[in-house]
Amino acid sequence: MKFLCIDCDTAMKFKDVTRPEQGSVTAVFECPECFTEIAMYLNPSETQMLKSLDLKLGGNNEAVQPMQMVRSQLETAKKDPFTNISSEVTNGETAEGGKCPFTSVISEAFDENSEPTPEPEQSGLKWTSEALERLERIPSFVRPMAKMGIESFAKDNGHSEITGEIMDAARGNFPAQF
Amino acid sequence: MKSYKELPDDAGSNIIGQVTAQANRLSQRLSTVKHTVAIMSGKGGVGKSAITANIATALSLMGCTVGIVDADINGPSIAKMMGVRNITLEYTKSGVLPAISHLGIKIISMDLILSEDDAPVMWNAQTQKDAFTWRSTMEVGALREFIGDTEWGDLDFLLLDLPPGSDRLPNVVELIPNLGGVVVVTIPSEISQLIVKKSITMARDILKVPIIGVVENMAFYMCKHCGEPEPLFSVQDTSDYKLNENTLGKIPFDPKLSLCNDSGTPYLSEYLNTPATEAITEIAHKIQNFFNS
Repeated sequence: MKFLCIDCDTAMKFKDVTRPEQGSVTAVFECPECFTEIAMYLNPSETQMLKSLDLKLGGNNEAVQPMQMVRSQLETAKKDPFTNISSEVTNGETAEGGKCPFTSVISEAFDENSEPTPEPEQSGLKWTSEALERLERIPSFVRPMAKMGIESFAKDNGHSEITGEIMDAARGNFPAQF
Repeated sequence: MKSYKELPDDAGSNIIGQVTAQANRLSQRLSTVKHTVAIMSGKGGVGKSAITANIATALSLMGCTVGIVDADINGPSIAKMMGVRNITLEYTKSGVLPAISHLGIKIISMDLILSEDDAPVMWNAQTQKDAFTWRSTMEVGALREFIGDTEWGDLDFLLLDLPPGSDRLPNVVELIPNLGGVVVVTIPSEISQLIVKKSITMARDILKVPIIGVVENMAFYMCKHCGEPEPLFSVQDTSDYKLNENTLGKIPFDPKLSLCNDSGTPYLSEYLNTPATEAITEIAHKIQNFFNS
């Protein structure tokens, strides 16, 4: 995946990445000449695919840990399936990968044990059961985005409860049908 | 406007570098392994894992150093059969130490990591609803780590116990381009033989992996009364097998083999002079000869 600043005809550079939020990762790229920034959003399926390949956005400058993907991603693992019997320090060493200066941010992006990014504020809007049912029918990888969009539409139009009618009204703002 | 090829890199992620590093780690890990052998079948339930466990035992009793990768990520059984299920894995900076059976066979299996007997393999994700899009990739990633992050040390043989079917072998060949060969396990039923031919075609004709041979499990049983071999399944004439040229051996059914699997003691280390032990030992010798010839 590459990004081009059309105005400068220059390859954009990776700048930053957020932790997965509602399953989605945001990566920021910057033009080194005009400093224009763009954000790339990965939906939850794309984020999960990246995790399953054990690849890091922005490069992997951290030492590779044995079975790091299984250890960090297996939900049904024992509490402590592996015991570290090494006294050697394993952090801070460099493995092959990119040369991005934002490695700590990047590694935290897929580190499930690090401090999570605060969840976005609750909208305070109520959802009727019919509306929730319809929300569930939206493909999961676009559902968080659709939910935010519907809630934003409802707030902008002065509604405190989201009903099927409001979803119908908001539908025109989305490419997906629900 | 510059084209894709004219842009110097992938904006700093160096995905190719990361993938190459993964492949290099795996290759370096296997540099101390002389021969890698995949044990596969067509249908499930033909005794592939039991044969893997006992071929490993036979090779070990012959003086070889042996490791087993339980490549059946969702249905792991090797740790149970080899009596190492309760071992807690340890790791150092350089890798995970495999579980070691009483005969010195090194084992890695998902069963050593899962929390409970009834715990399926579930991966962290925002939702499991679209898991079909990434689950298989996750399993191949786990297999890559099992092979590449386990401290095998010097091994004569690393056996990979594959799940049923022909779909996992292409992943294995991608991970281990110089896979030494494939042993195919079947039983003398028409259905099993129909399916196993697909696995053989996949290995030999599509992936160009050497077929070491076919093992016919539960080929017959020894009659308690007359001591003569009697058939267990429908196919009596295996001349139309298509696979005969590669037959490594026929293993008679012995209920004690199943009991040994359950108790975690390899059959071969318990029963030294039975027809099944002789057949498995002969198969192990043929596998060794395949690489020595």
